[in-house]
Amino acid sequence: MSDLKQIPIHAEGDAGGDPKSEGLFTRVFDELKAFCRSRSLFMLHYCTGCGAIELPPAMTSRFDMERLGIQPMVTPRQADILLVTGYVSIKTLKRIILTYEQMGGPKYVIGICSCTVNGGMYWQSYATAKVLNEYLPVDLYIAGCMPRPEAVITGMRQLMENIRTGKADNWKDYYRRYDHYLGNQQQLFGERWQTPTDVIGEADHYGLAGPETTGPHTALLQQHQVPLQPLEMRLGSRQERKP
Amino acid sequence: MDALNLALELILMPLVAFVVGLFMVLMMRKIAARIQRRVGPPLLQPLYDIIKLYGKQTQISHGLVHDIGIVMAVGGYVAAETLLPVPGMDGLADRGGLITLAYLMMIPSLGLALGVGQCANPNGSIGIARALTAMLAYDIPFVIVIFGVAWHYGTTNLADIIALQQAAGPGGWGAATMPLLALAGLFSVHAMLGKQPFEIYVAPAEIATGPMVEMGGKFLGGLFVMQTFQFYTAGVLYASLFLGGGENWLTFLVKAFAVVAIPMCIAFLFPRYRTEDLLKMIWKWPVLLGLAGLWLIMH
Repeated sequence: MSDLKQIPIHAEGDAGGDPKSEGLFTRVFDELKAFCRSRSLFMLHYCTGCGAIELPPAMTSRFDMERLGIQPMVTPRQADILLVTGYVSIKTLKRIILTYEQMGGPKYVIGICSCTVNGGMYWQSYATAKVLNEYLPVDLYIAGCMPRPEAVITGMRQLMENIRTGKADNWKDYYRRYDHYLGNQQQLFGERWQTPTDVIGEADHYGLAGPETTGPHTALLQQHQVPLQPLEMRLGSRQERKP
Repeated sequence: MDALNLALELILMPLVAFVVGLFMVLMMRKIAARIQRRVGPPLLQPLYDIIKLYGKQTQISHGLVHDIGIVMAVGGYVAAETLLPVPGMDGLADRGGLITLAYLMMIPSLGLALGVGQCANPNGSIGIARALTAMLAYDIPFVIVIFGVAWHYGTTNLADIIALQQAAGPGGWGAATMPLLALAGLFSVHAMLGKQPFEIYVAPAEIATGPMVEMGGKFLGGLFVMQTFQFYTAGVLYASLFLGGGENWLTFLVKAFAVVAIPMCIAFLFPRYRTEDLLKMIWKWPVLLGLAGLWLIMH
C-alpha cells in the first residue's frame, strides 16, 4: 500500500488547539473539562457493515464499555463519537456526513474495520467510498477485519487518552479545511451536493474559520445552494387536496 | 437573622438535592449494570457526564423557547426542593405545603413540552405527547395518595406530617397506618421516574429518546440535572409521606435511596407498556388501591 500517509491521522492546517487560558483557575477548569470529556463519551454507531457485530459484546456484560464512561446514544445531537463500523457505500456516506454535521463539537469520528481505512475487500467496488478520512476528519482508525472487542476497547482508551491530553481536535479541521472535504464530497456526489447544515456559518460563529474554509468548492456550493424552507402545513386528507 | 437563615436554606437545599440526586442516578445505573451482569459506571460518572455536556463547544439551540423550556424543567424542581424538608432544614415547607409541591412537580414536564415544541422534531413531539399522557396517568393516583395522607394527618403541611410520624414511632409511619395508599404511592413514584415499564415516552430505539431527541450540549446537560432532582424529589417526598421523613441525615438518606431503589430493581427486568396499556394499568390498579386505601382511613 503506497498511501500509508493516511494512517495515523493528523489534522492539517492550524492545529493550535484551544487558546491557552491565562490564570490558574481557568487552566484548572480546562483540565477538568478535558478530563470529563475523556471520561464521558456518548457514541452514535452508524453500523454500516459487518463491524457492527463486534460492538454488542464490547458494550454488554463481557467487556462492558460503561465502566469507561462510554455509552450508546441514539441521536447525533447527543453524541460525541460517530462510529463508522465498516464499508461505506456512496449512498451511506451521504447519511454519515449529514449525521456528522448535526453533532455538536467537540466530536470524534472512529473508523472501525479495514474498509474504512482503505476500502478493504471492497477496494475494486465502484460504489464504495474507500478512504473515510477524505470526507470526514477521522480521529482514530481501528483496523482489522473485523477488530475484536478487545481491539475496539483499546482503540477507545487511546481516544480517551488523546482527548485528555488535548490531541483529539480533528473536528476543528472540518471547519478549517471545509473546502478540501467539500471538494472530495462533490467529486463523489456531484456538483449539486449540499447539506442542511451551514458549515461556513458555524465556522465563522465559533471562530474556527481559516484560510482554507472557503475556496473553489464552497463557491460552487453557494451557486447551487437552496436555502432550507419550512414545510408547508396542510390539513385534510390526500384526496381533498387534489383539484 | 431569620431571613438570612431562610436564604441560606433556600440555597443549600437544592444543592443537597443535586448531590444526593447524582448518587441516586449512579445507583440506578449500577443496579441496571448488576442486573445485566456488568460492572457499571465509576463513582463520579453522572458528574462527568454533566460537566462534559455543559462544556461542549458548539451548542445547537432551536430558539428562545427551547432555552426557556430547559430553564423551566430545572427551575420547577429547584423550587420543589425548597418545599421538601430535610433534617435540620425546613425551607418553605411550612408555608408551601403539599398542594403547592404537587403543582411545582408538574412544571418540569410542561417546560419540557414547550422546549421540545420549538425543536419541531416529530420524534420529540410524539415523545412529549406520550410524556404528558403518562403524567395524566400517574398524577391521578398521586393526587389520591396526597389527599389521603393530608386527610389522615389533618394537614397539608409536610413538616407537620413528618413531625407527627416521628412522634408516633415506626408503628405510626404512613406505610404502617395506610398500607394501601403507600402501595399506590410506590406505583405512581415508579411511573413518575419514567423507567421501564413506564418508559414509552423515551423509547430510544423507536422514537430516538422522544423529548430529548434534539437536545445536545447544555440542553441535555440541563435534562441530566433535572433527572438528578427528579430522583431526589420522588425519593424524599415518598419517604416524608410514608416513612416518617428523616430523624437525622443517616436515616434520611437510607430511606430516600431505598425508595428509589425499589422501582429501579423492578424496572430493568421489564420491557415497556404502550401508552394506552400504561393508562389502563395505572388508572386501574394504583387508582383502585388508592381509593380502597382512602375508604379504609375514612372509616
